[in-house]
Amino acid sequence: MSAPRPYNLVAELTYRCPLRCVYCSNPIGYRAVRDALGGPAWSRVFGEAAALGAVHVGLTGGEPALHPDLEQIVAGATRASLYSHLVTAGTTLGRDALAALARAGLRSVQLSIQDAEEAAADRIAGAECFDAKLAFAAAVRDLALPLTINVVLHRHNLARVAEIVELAHRLGAARLELANAQYQGWALRNRAALLPTRAQLDAAAREVARLRRESPGMEILFVLPDYHRDRPKPCMGGWGHQSLVVAPDGRVLPCHGAAELPGLEFWRVPERALAECWSDAPGMNAYRGEAWMRAPCRDCPERVRDFGGCRCQAFALTGDASATDPACALAPAHEIVLRAREAAGEPAASFAYRGSA
Amino acid sequence: MSAPASEFEARLRAIGAERYHHRHPFNLRMHAGQLSRDELRTWVANRYYYQTRIPVKDGLILAKSGDPAFRRGWIGRIQDHDGTAEREGGLALWLALARAVGLDAERVASLCDVLPGVRRACDAYVAFVESHDLLESVAASLTELFAGDIMGERIAAFEKHYPWVDADGLRYFRSRTVQAPSDARYGLAYVLEHAHTAADRDRCVAALERKCEILWNLLDAIEAAHAALAFARAAQPRLEDPEPLVVLPERAVKLAGSAREILRLCDGKRTAIAIAAELRDRHPQVEKIADDVHDFLDEMVKLGVLDCERP
Repeated sequence: MSAPRPYNLVAELTYRCPLRCVYCSNPIGYRAVRDALGGPAWSRVFGEAAALGAVHVGLTGGEPALHPDLEQIVAGATRASLYSHLVTAGTTLGRDALAALARAGLRSVQLSIQDAEEAAADRIAGAECFDAKLAFAAAVRDLALPLTINVVLHRHNLARVAEIVELAHRLGAARLELANAQYQGWALRNRAALLPTRAQLDAAAREVARLRRESPGMEILFVLPDYHRDRPKPCMGGWGHQSLVVAPDGRVLPCHGAAELPGLEFWRVPERALAECWSDAPGMNAYRGEAWMRAPCRDCPERVRDFGGCRCQAFALTGDASATDPACALAPAHEIVLRAREAAGEPAASFAYRGSA
Repeated sequence: MSAPASEFEARLRAIGAERYHHRHPFNLRMHAGQLSRDELRTWVANRYYYQTRIPVKDGLILAKSGDPAFRRGWIGRIQDHDGTAEREGGLALWLALARAVGLDAERVASLCDVLPGVRRACDAYVAFVESHDLLESVAASLTELFAGDIMGERIAAFEKHYPWVDADGLRYFRSRTVQAPSDARYGLAYVLEHAHTAADRDRCVAALERKCEILWNLLDAIEAAHAALAFARAAQPRLEDPEPLVVLPERAVKLAGSAREILRLCDGKRTAIAIAAELRDRHPQVEKIADDVHDFLDEMVKLGVLDCERP
């Protein structure tokens, strides 16, 4: 077995979620994916992941708090010496339940917030959730759990990064991820309504640079989106390279979106051992390393940094998962991204909420 | 039409009110009598490196000017620091301060205990003057506008709170209460006269801000060296793994083998200075080991692996 060490396990506990965010990264066909793993099955996955070298587990979804065995799952991660990190929308988990998770060994929490303004936030989430999130953040802080706030950025909230930083500060966040939307899944459907202009991004980047100086106590992450950068993102740190995703149905994947790629065979736990699913599944090896690359990636010095970009984006935009990621200025299909960029200055289209047809 | 000179001067003075190191927590603690003897000694030994850079910086400034009158007015600064004979001048007075706080003056003069962060801050000042023009270099020296006041406070604070420091050691501060304001008047007059355009004025403002930042960084490095180090609450160290690492929310920091030995000493009681000294005792054959330890610990604090509990 020569597969690399997966330092990070992404445990997608369920795709169910009370929110309907217009940029949700879950697969469009999420409804068909059943929750197949209970507490004991997840615990076994954690033990096997630790044996493969994992040290960190992100408990995510959907909304992971909707999994009935969450407390048992956190305890399982603790037993496997995995650093457990809960990625939540914060609307369904009460104070007592969160305290129970902390007692079970939960190490840190990431809370998603849509905007600094209630009405705008709830419009993006497609649900009334803003106040519940603020209350949840207070509960996290009271338990002294390290808090990351994640805000997906797009043309409707980029002008408010200063208010967002101020809110994160007030909520006691140790880290703030200002994550520009990645145009896959629901976000790709809503691209014409979400994609910002370069000018909006540059203004926000300048604000962030200023705010970093003024709030040195809080780490602020901000990365220009690949649509405006001419270089693809180093998706997942490489396909099947350092992160391992287990979907709610037990499928072992290299990333959140890979199950949507046609013709790739992935394997499931508990039918097979996690190590086997990680190292030997044909889908896992389809884009591992560099052998799959075509020109211009094949000979490009950047390939060690961007790993050839995102396969799911290549498929979504060109219909061919082996194509060069169109976000790259060297890609034959870069024109697709350039056209989307130009359209970013036009009036926004209406939203298709997650779950809508 | 550019703004009047008085407005420009007010802008420069406002920078001092806001960013000069008199507001730095370490300086506030010094003046409030809250520094331990070790902290005060570290400050004296490290700040000496800054003192040694001043005449070097002033030599660079002299070399930028083609005007004999300017040079005549500026050259006194070098004599103020170096003296006209050995055992005179500001550098010798600073070594007297070193003796007065109980340090070995020869060791201080050898610069062997200068913290790497302090060295970087001071070198950044010389590098700034090297790479900027005369106007910006003079503007950077205008922290002297704010030095007169701080020296007065410092003398009072030492007499009140640190009576164990021999009064003879305070002669440097006394000399600066006179020199700094007169130097500053000269520098300020030069800047006001030669910053003709709005762009010139902006460059001067930026230079003075940068200089304040350098002085601030210097105290940051001294303060950090005396902070007790412990693993951050968010960090899960895995030092005994075959490949040691520290796990944080959504990332892991891989460590080199030697990092293990250093991090094991971060027990919430030891300071960076204590840890560096311990490593130097253990491995006397490794050159510059204390510097490497300090740099490594600074990096771990920046990455969120370590919490640094400042006093």
